[in-house]
Amino acid sequence: MKKKMLSAVLTGVMLASMLTGCGGQGNETPAQDTQQAQTEDQTEAQADGESSKESIDISAVNAGEESVEIIYANFNASGGNEETLNKMYEAFREEYPNITVNIETIGYDDYFTQMQTRVAGGTAPDCYELNIENFAAYANKGVLAELTGIDVSGYNATALSAFQVGGKQYGVPGNFSNVVLIYNKDLFDQAGVAYPDDTWTWDDAMDACEKISALGDDIYGIYQPITFNEFFKVAAQYGGGVLNEDKTEFTINSPENIQAAQMMINKIVETNVQPTESQMGGMGDWDLFESGRLGMIPTGIWAFGAFTDACEFNWDICVEPGGTQKATHFFSNALVVNADSAKKEAAATWINWLASSDAAAKMRIEAGWDLPAINDDTVLAGYLEITPPENRQAVFDSLNYLAVAPIIEEYSMMADIITDKLALAASGELTVEEALNQAQDECSLKIKL
Amino acid sequence: MKKRKLTIQALPFMLPSMLGMIIFSFLPIVISIVISLTDWNGLDKLNAQTMKECMVGLGNYSEILRSTEFWSVLWHTVYYIIFYIPLVLVMSLFIASILNKNMKGIGVFRVLYYIPVLTSWVAASLIWKWVLSPQYGIINQLLSYIGITGPNWLTDKVWAMPAIVLASVWKDMGFYGLFLLSGLKAIDVGYYEASRVDGAGKVRQFFSITLPLLTPSMFFCIIMALINAFQLFPQVQIMTEGGPNGATQVMVERIYTYGFKYFKMGYAAAYSWILFVIIFVLTLIQMKLQKRWVYYES
Amino acid sequence: MNHKEKKKILQEIGTYLTAVLIGVIVIIPFLWMLSTSFKSKGALMQIPVQWIPKEPSLDAYRTVFSRFPLLRAIGNSFLITGSYTVVTILSASMAAFAITKIKFPCAEGIFKLYLASMMIPTQVTLIPLFVIMNKLGLINTYPSVILPSLFRAFAVFMLVQQMRSIPNDFMEAARIDGAGIFRIYAKVIMPLTGSAIATLTVTTFMESWNDYLWPLLMLSDKNKMTLTLALNSLNGQYGTEYNLLMAGSLISMIPIIIIYACAQKYFKTGLMSGGVKG
Repeated sequence: MKKKMLSAVLTGVMLASMLTGCGGQGNETPAQDTQQAQTEDQTEAQADGESSKESIDISAVNAGEESVEIIYANFNASGGNEETLNKMYEAFREEYPNITVNIETIGYDDYFTQMQTRVAGGTAPDCYELNIENFAAYANKGVLAELTGIDVSGYNATALSAFQVGGKQYGVPGNFSNVVLIYNKDLFDQAGVAYPDDTWTWDDAMDACEKISALGDDIYGIYQPITFNEFFKVAAQYGGGVLNEDKTEFTINSPENIQAAQMMINKIVETNVQPTESQMGGMGDWDLFESGRLGMIPTGIWAFGAFTDACEFNWDICVEPGGTQKATHFFSNALVVNADSAKKEAAATWINWLASSDAAAKMRIEAGWDLPAINDDTVLAGYLEITPPENRQAVFDSLNYLAVAPIIEEYSMMADIITDKLALAASGELTVEEALNQAQDECSLKIKL
Repeated sequence: MKKRKLTIQALPFMLPSMLGMIIFSFLPIVISIVISLTDWNGLDKLNAQTMKECMVGLGNYSEILRSTEFWSVLWHTVYYIIFYIPLVLVMSLFIASILNKNMKGIGVFRVLYYIPVLTSWVAASLIWKWVLSPQYGIINQLLSYIGITGPNWLTDKVWAMPAIVLASVWKDMGFYGLFLLSGLKAIDVGYYEASRVDGAGKVRQFFSITLPLLTPSMFFCIIMALINAFQLFPQVQIMTEGGPNGATQVMVERIYTYGFKYFKMGYAAAYSWILFVIIFVLTLIQMKLQKRWVYYES
Repeated sequence: MNHKEKKKILQEIGTYLTAVLIGVIVIIPFLWMLSTSFKSKGALMQIPVQWIPKEPSLDAYRTVFSRFPLLRAIGNSFLITGSYTVVTILSASMAAFAITKIKFPCAEGIFKLYLASMMIPTQVTLIPLFVIMNKLGLINTYPSVILPSLFRAFAVFMLVQQMRSIPNDFMEAARIDGAGIFRIYAKVIMPLTGSAIATLTVTTFMESWNDYLWPLLMLSDKNKMTLTLALNSLNGQYGTEYNLLMAGSLISMIPIIIIYACAQKYFKTGLMSGGVKG
């Protein structure tokens, strides 16, 4: 019996090593390889694509070459925008009839599990979409091709810079959403408070919050989630940040950050102008706003559609209040090229077109599917005409203060640690200072920068 | 000689499943042992060379066992099991005995009780998030009728895990119930008739005939429930994501988070091998104990 | 009406009441699912909760039907799930038969190995299995999602447990009648395992029907997409539309419920009523 088991195990191991042994080439370190590849690129840019391993020169692609077929995987079109994406592709085909793109649209929930498996299994699509958390990891692990020679003038500079790692561009911003302050005009009227404007600081907002909360037991001034995402932005509003300038050290418990976190958490534990978890009663923050019980909510512009449908009161938007300075959020997904793809040029051409061409941008705006991350005001102008909100200009004004997420390799872990500690402070179990001290210690211990 | 004959007889019957096991289960499992000895990030291509390059020996195992997180995660899992297994067994036995009655219209209930089993966890978790909502959920509304202010179930450290137990029992009791039912149906009616002649009452019949003859099915249910409970995952992922403050972090949730969110696949693989050892030892104990209480007719 | 009959009737009423009570507990969340699927987007989150939608709408169903080629997806799902279930039942019952009734050397050892394989969470074997499928050239083919059914430890375990409680007398009797081993498997043991096979058929069908991470990894070709995969594309980055999700889940539950209802009659017949009594 035992002998049989042993021999079975041994055969298994042998088989396994055979299977894995015949796999492709090992992973080259990206750093040394890119340099080499870059020089190669200049000479062989228009070659079949096999030549350049890690980087790809988009500008070198010209239409009318022999036909290629590529795979593009994305999650952003799931949940209702597949048709728009198909329309964009049709327009792309007219310009580049030689490039066939097989589009795979996959639901958000398991997109990253399947993508990681495909990348590790060596069958990743030629180009695909990544959210910001995963982009950091993928880029650092060398599975993305560097994109060189892009015509950057067309892109929003901040959004573009979010997808640089170590000064190299590994992705282009495919879509773009930012965060503004959305407020319930009716509640402001009832409380007799002037509507917020772009000059507001959090002090002004807190005054308004208290007056609005006083309107009733079930009414609250504001809702701002206590998460890492919110924290790094508010920290920026007070001149702080979770990392030092060259990203070699955590600075989570700096005085500026403590001031920022205190503002966020006092709203709940001291003044209670923001509902606690139990006061929320399992409702989502949008639901609370839609039910007319919330004065202000800093949230993404993707809420416009839902609020237009659901709100039976007047609402409008403005640039989010600041601390000592302004800072606003944006969300953008990176479109990237697989470092192992044999058709990098075609893949890069497609994603660059999708992200920055006028045609794609116009379709995106028409469909109300986020913003294109471009800086061409005439294309963006169409966006302003849709109401509500009336003050749509605030969406663009907010772009002047964009805060870039502190991208590090272990972004997700850092975000989870800080969110957990902030939650403890919000439930009153820790003081703000204790929470940030603990977060600082835990991050420094677990994450090597 | 006889042994060889038996093996030859068994071979055609075992071949398909053995083949499937080697290719689709055994091989991946062996590879995952190798992965557990590396600090592979789960993105670099999986092949022998990558494995060699990121070999770290038993480092992952010692790191896990020394971390405080592991022990609290293990405790959460055990805590879940302590509540879940007895509850789900009692409920499913109850269901099975109702469904076993020869009454008109019982078929309707057989379909009804199985509906939660047929629902996917994604839909079921969303439903339960709403059922458990502190202010608008039906459970707290019912509690308020009898003067109890219900807890904030999923956002309360104390109540989050019981809430997940509740949802899991709701979803699984029909499954085990149906299995126990097929065990009940398999009991020879003759036994009951014989004991009635001997003058045994219903209660005595239950304890001297039903329960002993049901033990093989019960044994199956306990083993399956134990293995599944240790691998508790989708409901946690959707209902609480391990929160509030890690109160519902359980083994597989951690494995998924480390492997697919933090890109520490080696660490995740080591985690799952530790989990394997725990389940394996517990199942082995069950197997040993089964001789004392499981009754096979043959 | 004598005392005994009265007692019996009272007992029956009691049983019905308990049955209904459990039924209500079980069904309430499901009814909410149904009611949500008939709500328009705006009515979803209204407080107080609308139990019966004030303005029931078929929007959610219309959207679900219009977003993807539903019929094709259902066809694929049936093809895959059907083959998966048949292969599982055949392979597992054969293995269980050999383990319990042929009792070849180290049958118990292999059985324990099978059991042990269930104890490793699938999350860590996902990537290795993907690599193996890639080497076998099976990615993007139906077999890639059907073949793993050759080995399902759970099914083997369940059938072993059931077959163990079949007395060996049956085998002996058949053997004396001159039946070969295949005949004993097909004509004696399989019929006696009927209700367990029915249970297994339902659970296997359901699992395969609802499975979606593995098909997602294997089948990227749109034409091979299953229903669950199609429904998965309903969830977007900025939240899920609950009415669509619930409508989709309900649509995908219908086939399973039908299968379950069809398997019903096999649950009724017990092991011994087959008339093979030794």
